[in-house]
Amino acid sequence: MFQRLLFENWVCVFPLIAFITAGSIYATIFYRAIRMKTPQIDHFSQLPFEPESPVSPDETK
Amino acid sequence: MSDRKITIEYNDGVVRQFLLACVLWGAVGMLVGVVVASQLNYWRLNFDLPWLTFGRLRPLHTNAVIFAFVGNMMFAGVYYSTQRLVNARLASNFLSQLHFWGWQLIIVAAAISLPLGFSRGKEYAELIWPINIAVAFIWVVFAVNFFWTLARRQEPALYVAIWFYIGTIITVAMLYIVNHLSIPTSLLHSYPVFGGVQDALVQWWYGHNAVAFFLTTPILGIMYYFVPKAAERPVYSYRLSVIHFWSLVFVYIWAGPHHLLNTALPGWLQALGMTFSLMLWAPSWGGMLNGLLTLRGAWHKLRTDPVLKFFAAAVTFYGMATFEGPLLSIKSVNALAHYTDWIIGHVHAGALGWNGFMAAGMIYWLLPRLWNKPLHSVALANLHFWVGTFGILLYVAAMWTSGITQGLMLNATTDNGTLLTYPNFLDTLNAIRPMMLFRVLGGGLYLIGWLLLAYNVYRTVRGAKAVNGTIEVFVSDHAAEERLGLGSMIFNPPVAFSVLGTVFACAWMFGGDFLKLAGLFGTALVILLAWVHFRTRVSRWAAWYDRLLLNALPFTLLTFLAVAAGGLIQIIPTTLVNRASNVEGRRQIPYTPLELAGRDIYIREGCFNCHSQMIRTLVPDVLRYGDYSRLGESIYDLPFQWGSKRTGPDLARVGSKYPNLWHYRHMMNPRDVSPGSNMPNYPWLFSGKTDMDSLPAKLSVQRLLGVPYPEYKAGELTALVADQERTIATDLKGAGAMVAPDREIVALIAYLQKLGKYEALAPRLPVAQ
Repeated sequence: MFQRLLFENWVCVFPLIAFITAGSIYATIFYRAIRMKTPQIDHFSQLPFEPESPVSPDETK
Repeated sequence: MSDRKITIEYNDGVVRQFLLACVLWGAVGMLVGVVVASQLNYWRLNFDLPWLTFGRLRPLHTNAVIFAFVGNMMFAGVYYSTQRLVNARLASNFLSQLHFWGWQLIIVAAAISLPLGFSRGKEYAELIWPINIAVAFIWVVFAVNFFWTLARRQEPALYVAIWFYIGTIITVAMLYIVNHLSIPTSLLHSYPVFGGVQDALVQWWYGHNAVAFFLTTPILGIMYYFVPKAAERPVYSYRLSVIHFWSLVFVYIWAGPHHLLNTALPGWLQALGMTFSLMLWAPSWGGMLNGLLTLRGAWHKLRTDPVLKFFAAAVTFYGMATFEGPLLSIKSVNALAHYTDWIIGHVHAGALGWNGFMAAGMIYWLLPRLWNKPLHSVALANLHFWVGTFGILLYVAAMWTSGITQGLMLNATTDNGTLLTYPNFLDTLNAIRPMMLFRVLGGGLYLIGWLLLAYNVYRTVRGAKAVNGTIEVFVSDHAAEERLGLGSMIFNPPVAFSVLGTVFACAWMFGGDFLKLAGLFGTALVILLAWVHFRTRVSRWAAWYDRLLLNALPFTLLTFLAVAAGGLIQIIPTTLVNRASNVEGRRQIPYTPLELAGRDIYIREGCFNCHSQMIRTLVPDVLRYGDYSRLGESIYDLPFQWGSKRTGPDLARVGSKYPNLWHYRHMMNPRDVSPGSNMPNYPWLFSGKTDMDSLPAKLSVQRLLGVPYPEYKAGELTALVADQERTIATDLKGAGAMVAPDREIVALIAYLQKLGKYEALAPRLPVAQ
């Protein structure tokens, strides 16, 4: 396992593939995010404000 | 198509359990923090007891704060908000309870095992392998419970907080599993499968992203839910929150190498870590501003509402810490700050300011809602805020001053950079003692603030009746129509063009003559076709993205792809490049069996908490400690011990620097040979016997992991160890120190005297292109 080998240049393929993949997906997602429609944005941003009904006692105690 | 109305009662019981556990473990973690900070000032507080020494208690502090305090807070916040955001009760009561009690059991196991010295020797990853398996199992329970709840949701849209939770769950699982890959030597001990530089890289890929995906992304999700609720207005910009999420997920994961700047780590990885760290400024501040601006129109409430006070301060501290982080990742700044208290100050600005204050705000907001009773005392909560804030500022200011002072002193040179201005390390330590005392005061104040919260919680909960939230929802059958299957997620124009584009681009970059040309034309063609298709079928592209926002599984896969890419870029090249080919002309001489036993004692006592074993490529480091460390000099270190803090000096080349007697006296009472030292005494090393029984199993695992140990014949190992023990004991006896050869101190001395020993190798020939 520790024998001396020549430097394996081919491994640089991983950083480059990762760069390309991450970059292309990020660009797509970023574009879609800024193109989201206003009604859609409004719907999402209102999600935490769904009306909650009165509480019920915890009967498990 | 039919709609029917149902009433859902949320499982708030488990939220209450996690919340109370957070209060309890928060107090414990902070108390241990104040104790270890005091030990740095007053060494007698180590009490000469093994289980109370700094080296063993410091991991208890960090693990308690990260996994017990923030962990329980995170689970409470995630479970409370998720149920309400998706209009569904948690999928399984059993899994919820298994999650809660399993997590508490893990915390108790950690609280027992760490002071007893059972450690893997890696920061924030010290827990032994059986506990690691338990953590992974409980995390899977959490994931199943969470995703099962999403599958049963009545609200199709996934709010951005849910995105942050998804990112947290899958990334933490990936990081934790990879960094804890070990081969056991016994029920309580193991060696990591990575060693040297690989271990360093994997460790800080994990360590940095533990901060990113355990202490940041889930808390950001909590911020995006609780801050709008507390301010009673929606998030300032939902678009910004979406960009915040994707930017963090794509960028954060790459920044781990900034913990290893100026070390033996390959230069391209250091540059990568620094670059991506600097890129983090933008999304972090975008998110911080989004959180703060959510309070627009509600600033007047800060005067009276402690919840908003805590949230506003927490988000501000998030901004400060995420400004400071990239700053510290600049190599020249890092040369000053690394290994000093500046890093400790930075970490605590995040932990106390961001995590602690978000926890406090969330708890004060939840208490009246979970127990249907007003908070016992708003005034006490406000007092908590001010005491806590003052405590943080005192702590952080003290650590900044301390870190910069010690960094400047350690790096100061004279005579045109040929001599150190402060050659005695202890001069720099004693210069910062007043600041270390202020840290205790600051931390103590913060703890007092937390105890005020605990009292407020107790008084609010006492006599109150626990209640669960309910909601009436219309169950709609047509929701299923919008679901995106795995097949339609992959086989659609955006994904197809992206995959094709990546394939052609790779061929262009890495292919031979023809392939390169084909790749170039292919890439151009795909871009052209994608553009034409996009222009003519805009709605199909948009529809895919819109459906993605409603579908948890495809969304999760996409998030996993984003974080896995960041790991891929760093770890695979470093793992696949044969270690011995990176030795830079030097290869570590493997430890003898006795030295290996001594190394395990070094790890057990947590010496790595105060001593590094990495001489950086910096003039002051080389002047102080010797020639800079090469990659090959730690290839057999399982785990690596490069360290992250120098409360004491670096030990990479301490071997043969002092006689055996010096180490003997130093371990008995460090002040005998180093006046002014704050290191604990280690009297138990002089009475405890070296563990010989476990050596064969340990050597066998080391052999399996590539360390060139021979197969010892019967009796050969014992004779080898006894011989080296006798040599050291005889030398000590000659110098006037009597010790039985089989004592732990002998093994530890053997290890320390080996540090820095290497064999020189012929330089590697350049690779023909």
